Amino acid sequence: MTLRPGTRVRTSSADPDHHTRLPRYLRGQVGEIVYAGREWPLPDDVARGVAAPRAETVYTVRFAAAGLWGTGRHTILADLWESYLEQDDGEDDGEDDGPQEER
Amino acid sequence: MRVSRVHDIGGQTGFGPVPEIPGSQDSPPFHADWEARVYALAGVLGRRGLFSGDELRDAIESLPPDRYLSASYYERWLEALEVLVARKGVA
Amino acid sequence: MTAEPHHHDLPVAARVRRLEERVIAAGLASDGELDEALARFYARATPINGARLVARAWTDPRFRARLLADGSAAAAELGFGPQVSSYQLRVVANSAQRHNVIVCTLCSCYPVALLGPSPSWYKSLAYRSRTVREPRAVLSEFGLVVPEEVDIAVWDSTAETRYLVLPLRPDGTDSLAEDELAALITRDGLIGTARV
Repeated sequence: MTLRPGTRVRTSSADPDHHTRLPRYLRGQVGEIVYAGREWPLPDDVARGVAAPRAETVYTVRFAAAGLWGTGRHTILADLWESYLEQDDGEDDGEDDGPQEER
Repeated sequence: MRVSRVHDIGGQTGFGPVPEIPGSQDSPPFHADWEARVYALAGVLGRRGLFSGDELRDAIESLPPDRYLSASYYERWLEALEVLVARKGVA
Repeated sequence: MTAEPHHHDLPVAARVRRLEERVIAAGLASDGELDEALARFYARATPINGARLVARAWTDPRFRARLLADGSAAAAELGFGPQVSSYQLRVVANSAQRHNVIVCTLCSCYPVALLGPSPSWYKSLAYRSRTVREPRAVLSEFGLVVPEEVDIAVWDSTAETRYLVLPLRPDGTDSLAEDELAALITRDGLIGTARV
C-alpha cells in the first residue's frame, strides 16, 4: 500500500499496551497524506525487542485542529507509520448514512 | 497490569504556562552536573547497544504515572536507565 | 536483579554516580568515555549549524529548493551529513501566509546537532501538550504574536523525522553577507517560537 499525497486516511483507534508513535490525540481521526517519506523500522516492534522489526513507509499526515478538538484554525502534521493508517473512502463524517450520491 | 502511558499528553489542557522561557536563548542544557552525566550515560550505553532509542523511550513512558508527571526530564531518564540496566542484567 | 527499595530517597547525584559505577564495573563504559561524550556534544551541537543552512537558503534559491525537498541531503552539502544520518531532516518554510512551529508531544525529539541542546521549555509538559492545541497562545508566551490572517502549522516530530523551521528573511537585509545573515538567526527562530 503506497498512499499518495492528497489521499484521505483514517488513523487506527487501537490503544496498544506497548510503545507506539500514534499519539492519542490523533487516533481514530481523518487526515490527508502530505508526503510519503522513507521506510523506518516500526517503533512498536523495536521497543519490544522484536528480532526483525517491520520496516514501513512513514507518511506525513495533515490534520485540521477543528476536526480533533472542535475548535482551532491551525493544522497539525504528524509522521505516522503505514500500519497506523488506512485509506478512508468514506462519506463526509456525520453527513451521510448511506452510499454517496452520484453527482 | 497495563502501563498508563501518561506521557501521551498532546492536546491535553491544564499544564499551565510554558516554563523557563525568559532568557531562553541562553538557558543551559543541564541544570546540574548529574543531568549531564545522565545524558552522557544514555548516549554511551545506547551506542554500546545495550538498548535502542525506542527501548529507552518505552522505559521512560512506562514509569508509574505519578512519577512520570512529577519527575524532572532527566530524573525520568535516570529512572528509565536504572530499569533498563537492571532488566538487561548488568552488574 | 530487583531495584532497591527507597532508592528515590538517595540524593539524585548519588544515584547517578551509583549507576555509573555499575555500568563501569560491567565494562560497558569508562569515566573517560562519558567525559568525552559530553565534550563532543557541547562542541558539535550548536544552532549556528542550523543558522548556516537558513542563511544559505536565503541567498541561494536553488539550495533553498533542495533544502525544502530533502533537508538531510542539503545539510550534507554543508558538511552535516554524519550528524543527520540517523534521521530524516525536514525543513519547513515560513511565508507571509503560514508560520510553522515544531514540537514533540510524546517525548522531546529534536535535531540537536543543528540546533544545539534542546531548551528545557521544549521538553516541558506544558509545551508538549499545549502547542498542538493552542499554538497561538503558546507562541504569545514567547512574545511572538502571529497575526490572525497567518495560518499556523504545528509539526509533531519523531526520532526518525526531525524538523527545522526556515524563517522569513527579515526586511532590510539585502546587503548582508551570508555569515552576517546567519548571525541574525536564533535557535527559537529555527523551532518556530521566534520570528527569526
